Amino acid sequence: MTPRPRPLVIIAALVILAVTALPALPGRAAPLAQALRDTGTIRGRVEVRRPSTPPERRPNVADLGAHVAQSDVSDRLTSVVYFDSAPRTAAAPVPGHAVLDQRDERFVPHVLAVTTGTVVDFPNSDRIYHNVFSLSKTRPFDLGRYAAGRSKAIKFDRPGIVRVFCDIHSHMNAFILVFNHSFFALTDAEGRYRIDNVPPGSYNLVAWNEGVSSGPQPVVVSEGGEAELDFALR
Amino acid sequence: MKRALRALLVCALALSRQLPARAQALPSEPVSIADGHVTISGDVSAAFGGADTGFFNYTDYEHSALRVFRVDLTTAVKLNDHVSMLGEVRTENVGPLQAYAFYLRVRPWARRAFDIQAGRVPPTFGAFTRRIYASENPLIGYPLAYQYLTSLRADALPINANELLGMRGRGWLSSYSIGNPVPAAGLPLASGFRWDTGVQVHAGAGLVDATVSVTTGTLSNPLFRDDNSGRQVAARLSARPIAGLVLGTSAARGPFVTATAARGAVGAGRDGEFTQTAWGADAEYSRDYYLVRAETVFSEWRVPAVGTPVIDAPLRALASYVEGRYKIRPGLYAAARLDHLGFSELTGSGVRTTWDAPVTRLEVGGGYSILRNVLVKVSGQHNTREGGRVTSLNLVAAQIVYWF
Repeated sequence: MTPRPRPLVIIAALVILAVTALPALPGRAAPLAQALRDTGTIRGRVEVRRPSTPPERRPNVADLGAHVAQSDVSDRLTSVVYFDSAPRTAAAPVPGHAVLDQRDERFVPHVLAVTTGTVVDFPNSDRIYHNVFSLSKTRPFDLGRYAAGRSKAIKFDRPGIVRVFCDIHSHMNAFILVFNHSFFALTDAEGRYRIDNVPPGSYNLVAWNEGVSSGPQPVVVSEGGEAELDFALR
Repeated sequence: MKRALRALLVCALALSRQLPARAQALPSEPVSIADGHVTISGDVSAAFGGADTGFFNYTDYEHSALRVFRVDLTTAVKLNDHVSMLGEVRTENVGPLQAYAFYLRVRPWARRAFDIQAGRVPPTFGAFTRRIYASENPLIGYPLAYQYLTSLRADALPINANELLGMRGRGWLSSYSIGNPVPAAGLPLASGFRWDTGVQVHAGAGLVDATVSVTTGTLSNPLFRDDNSGRQVAARLSARPIAGLVLGTSAARGPFVTATAARGAVGAGRDGEFTQTAWGADAEYSRDYYLVRAETVFSEWRVPAVGTPVIDAPLRALASYVEGRYKIRPGLYAAARLDHLGFSELTGSGVRTTWDAPVTRLEVGGGYSILRNVLVKVSGQHNTREGGRVTSLNLVAAQIVYWF
């Protein structure tokens, strides 16, 4: 009968393995650190020049009473700036996890940008039913009706733009932009964006807002440098 | 219908040019102007169906719900946080524009669900009237309670039971001896296509909503100007006890016979006696990919007893339907509705039968969304009626719907 290895023996073996392996790690990490030092940054601003109006409900005259008005337009000013194609040296994007909440009869956030393979959760944080769906060619889906506290998820495998709606509340809509690379950024409240870790080279960037895109704009990133590129969307 | 289809395409193209290019070619959101103070939305639908020789789907003598091109434009003008004006104009088959709704909505406390609406207001009674638009109707036909024309009229009265029984199954064009002698369409139990004029108060608290209104016309005969001395009082109570479940009950009562017709039957000053009283109950449950609705409407009309054999009891009708919708895949659904309209019995000369011919309808169909706001529907109907010239009729129809 073969004696079973004791736990202490296993732990000792693991410690020896770790001690012998440690000196090799800095040598392996060095090329990666050097590569990051060599990359540059693109930053700039997206100006949305057309007027942004709050998402209005359809004026359903058959309703017996009014609904509380939504007046926030800030989320409609969020733009996405992205490379029209990934740098040749770029690694494949790492699939992530994102959340598109349904809250106060709105999708939060209104714009979501993810990489291919990302799973997006759609929790319902309202007291009423919602029915999230999309008829986009990139990823058509219909999650059906589900109540508060429940969530359903969709994996986005193909790059493209997915327009998301609620089948019950026609004023609810959102955009999910799916990229097959990780070179994109959302603008902040002032319209500023920043894309880091860009390998040196020449690229074309596109700015997008509410379904309107700029043409591809060329930009050159030098080794460890910072390039600036502004957009104006009408 | 070719003209209707052309007009639909012209409308869609015209509307698509109103907004900048977005993710899809046609606008999918209401048009908002004047810094959000004015919001305009629209519904455009064109239905193409077989010839309804039995007038099962007619909403009046000229229009069948299965063969109609309809454009609705709705506008909300927000004067401030408390006061809005709402209006809707409609045209059918490229006819003249008609004001379907036009009322003032006052919300005294911006954060409280308490509203006062005055003008040509939405019907207080029932559930279906909240989803009368083609984009919200899973099928093409309408529930019998809100569309089917009974043989009863507000402006013309039968002189006796025989005359009424002679019009069984002829609600699309009935005529009587008293009042207006011109043949015209009869009354539905509740009109889904005309709105009443008056004042409406709505309050919501938590899971319960209540509405009360006083209007000039009645459920079956809504009016812009009153034609008799009475008013209709209507009320509705609805509750949402759990997510996805809506239960409602409604009631309405008001004089429906015109003063002229009542005077012709029993003399002046008695038009307030001839009332329509209606009760309704409705339920809706939805979850995941299915939706089930049921509604029943009971109506009782009191008409003058003039000649023999007399109409010695109120004329009653009961309409009930159950409908369901199931989403098969994104953009595609199947739907069905089973509907029955029955009538109370009346004794004529040597015969006792229902005062109008009972109708049963089964409609099965489905829809496919080409775009989020462009829907194509197809449905088939099997109609049966226990009287009239056509007692059984199968109809097939298609409808295209665009809304923004």
